[in-house]
Amino acid sequence: MQFPILAKPPVGIVFDSAMGRIDDVLALAMLHGFDGKDQARIAAVCVSRADLQAAQFCDALGRFYASATSGPAAMFMRFAPIGLADGKPAAASVMFSKAAYANAVKNINDTADPATLIRNELMAQYDQNAAVVLSGPATDLAKLLDMQGVKEWIARKVRLLCVADNGLQADAAAAEKVFAEWPTPIVTAGREIGEALPFPGDSIEKDFAYENAHPVAGAYRAFKPMPYDAPSWAMAAMLYAVHPNDGYFKLSGTGHHRELIVDPEQKDRIIRTYIEMASAKPVPRKPRHPVDEKKDEKKDEKKVEAGK
Amino acid sequence: MITKKSLPRRTFLRGMGTAVALPFLDAMVPALASATTTKPPVRMAFVYVPNGIIMNGWNPEYEGTLGELPRILKPLEQYSQDITLFGNLTHNTGRALLDGAGDHGRCCASYLTGVQPRKTVIDIKAGVSFDQIVANQVGKATRFPSLELGMEDARQAGDCDSGYSCAYTNNLAWKSETQPLPPVLDPRALFERLFGNGLALTPAARARENLYRRSILDFVSDDTRKLETGLGPTDRRKLDEYLSSIREIERQIEKAEKDNTQIDPHMEKPYGVPADFAEHFKLMSDMMTVAFQSDLTRVITFLVTHEGTSRPYREIDIPDGHHPLTHHRNQPDLIEKVTQINSYHVRQFAAWIAKLRTIREGDGSLLDNCMIVYGAGLSDGNRHLHEDLPTLIAGRGGSHFKSGRRIVYRKETPMCNLYLAMMDRMGVHVEHFGDSTGRLDALDLT
Repeated sequence: MQFPILAKPPVGIVFDSAMGRIDDVLALAMLHGFDGKDQARIAAVCVSRADLQAAQFCDALGRFYASATSGPAAMFMRFAPIGLADGKPAAASVMFSKAAYANAVKNINDTADPATLIRNELMAQYDQNAAVVLSGPATDLAKLLDMQGVKEWIARKVRLLCVADNGLQADAAAAEKVFAEWPTPIVTAGREIGEALPFPGDSIEKDFAYENAHPVAGAYRAFKPMPYDAPSWAMAAMLYAVHPNDGYFKLSGTGHHRELIVDPEQKDRIIRTYIEMASAKPVPRKPRHPVDEKKDEKKDEKKVEAGK
Repeated sequence: MITKKSLPRRTFLRGMGTAVALPFLDAMVPALASATTTKPPVRMAFVYVPNGIIMNGWNPEYEGTLGELPRILKPLEQYSQDITLFGNLTHNTGRALLDGAGDHGRCCASYLTGVQPRKTVIDIKAGVSFDQIVANQVGKATRFPSLELGMEDARQAGDCDSGYSCAYTNNLAWKSETQPLPPVLDPRALFERLFGNGLALTPAARARENLYRRSILDFVSDDTRKLETGLGPTDRRKLDEYLSSIREIERQIEKAEKDNTQIDPHMEKPYGVPADFAEHFKLMSDMMTVAFQSDLTRVITFLVTHEGTSRPYREIDIPDGHHPLTHHRNQPDLIEKVTQINSYHVRQFAAWIAKLRTIREGDGSLLDNCMIVYGAGLSDGNRHLHEDLPTLIAGRGGSHFKSGRRIVYRKETPMCNLYLAMMDRMGVHVEHFGDSTGRLDALDLT
């Protein structure tokens, strides 16, 4: 019998993406879905382009999924900052330009340096119980590797890096560094994966309709004229990172760096999982580190008594 | 006639087991020396308050030039040109990081060490605190490499927070990763450490001193007279003010010792400690002033009260314990009381800053040559948050800081980045400390 208090929590996911395609938004929505069903926990969300609106959207999405939580759990809920690349502001994505969802990001100081955020959040993960999902340039991860002592932390905490082959070429030097120096196994979701497993556009009107102003549905509609199906590189990488041993994909070859292979028999199952997780409704969350206030107060009372 | 002769910086007034250091006098500057070689030293101090701060009474809603300050910082508003207020500095190593409850123990132990302390009540382990790294280098030039001061409970053993040793909650400075430096709480003990060479006194001499309760300055009066004859009018005034301030501290200590009969029996007090919090704070800050002024040390840590303290504040009509109040669960009446405690602490600090501003040194004030950090290891004490830590620096670090501003950094910016920047200004160059990711930028005059 396993005592729940001693059990490891589900895998902690670091999601570092360019947030430049709807695939990234759907992958983030999936991550919230996994988190709500206790199949994964969100460790860190980072945007690797200097797009403030994308960071605002990511923050808003976190608040949207937290909206079902109330009472003491809401009081003690901590919204981790969004990591955002600095530098020359990138062109805002059409997905977010009209978005006006409640968020706490007014300027870049309301976000974190991605490498610092990822380092800090990895330190809070159980050993070999974290995975990193990369979709877009590897700039943030290359910086992470350059931080003092961080390679050891990655090796200790992270079991897998899942790379969506989507935008890596935007920073070829960073990609080369990450593939050469990353201390854990790497699995890549190649371009053919995303195209072979499209997210069905009709799901947006059907499965996301429980909320009139669903942020994900809004971004989907804004990205391209409807209807359209969306390739799913980042979603595939996310699914494998959370469930590497559940037979969704096959892997090529052996060694440090492998690639996802589509198993035709799993195609429908994968797309059903995409839809189920990306469209999952917000659920009440428990605080990660609940504060035992009564115990705290009793201890204080004893101290005061002792002082009298 | 102009000569190159000058009074040595390490001149002491001596007499009967006593050695009183001198402040920085004009006579210590060689007449033909250039300004750059005679700059007063830079000093740094940390004033730590426990249990977090009510942050909406601390953080202004603006960045840049300081104007109107929020309620808790109001006492510092008239000195805002000497203040730099920081936003978003974080101590990640104070967080649980899988170690569960014990934020008070962790936040205090990691505050100056930048490392996650081992969760234990027996075999304690943290790291060398950055003040000690500085003290190891600049401390060679002063009588005391550093001073560790406090105002409450120096208990070092036992469990003070969910499995964290009291050594973590009750100390700021760590000489090694297993050796914290307990703060001196008793003003008389501090006074004797600073000015009295008690060990050199024979038992008979000590008995005579106690019998007549003479001022320590009486013992050095011959030396004082000799020195005065060689000083100019400005230096004579400085020396007189300085010696008067020492005499004033003596008077306060004597008064405090007489006041012991009036100590509230509900409060634990070592002998000689003033019953009144503000009076105790003033006494300690007066001695810190003298220690800096006379270059007895350049590094001080001051743990105002210990992390997790349940000290009541009857001085301001708050009989409830500080720590229980901070778990206010958003109840307005409790938040109001914590705000009053936070303000009360800042009022005492502001009085110290006011004093440091009035002491002339070199081309400016003593405060100009200091970096006095005032802060806490938690921001929101109710939720035990370790980000956006309430942090300010009073002083200009030897006229290096462009003060009078609020600088907000990106979230998760390590507090240790500030420490690297401070070490630079203390002349101690270290590439990495704790979980630093670089030096805090935007502090300089340019």
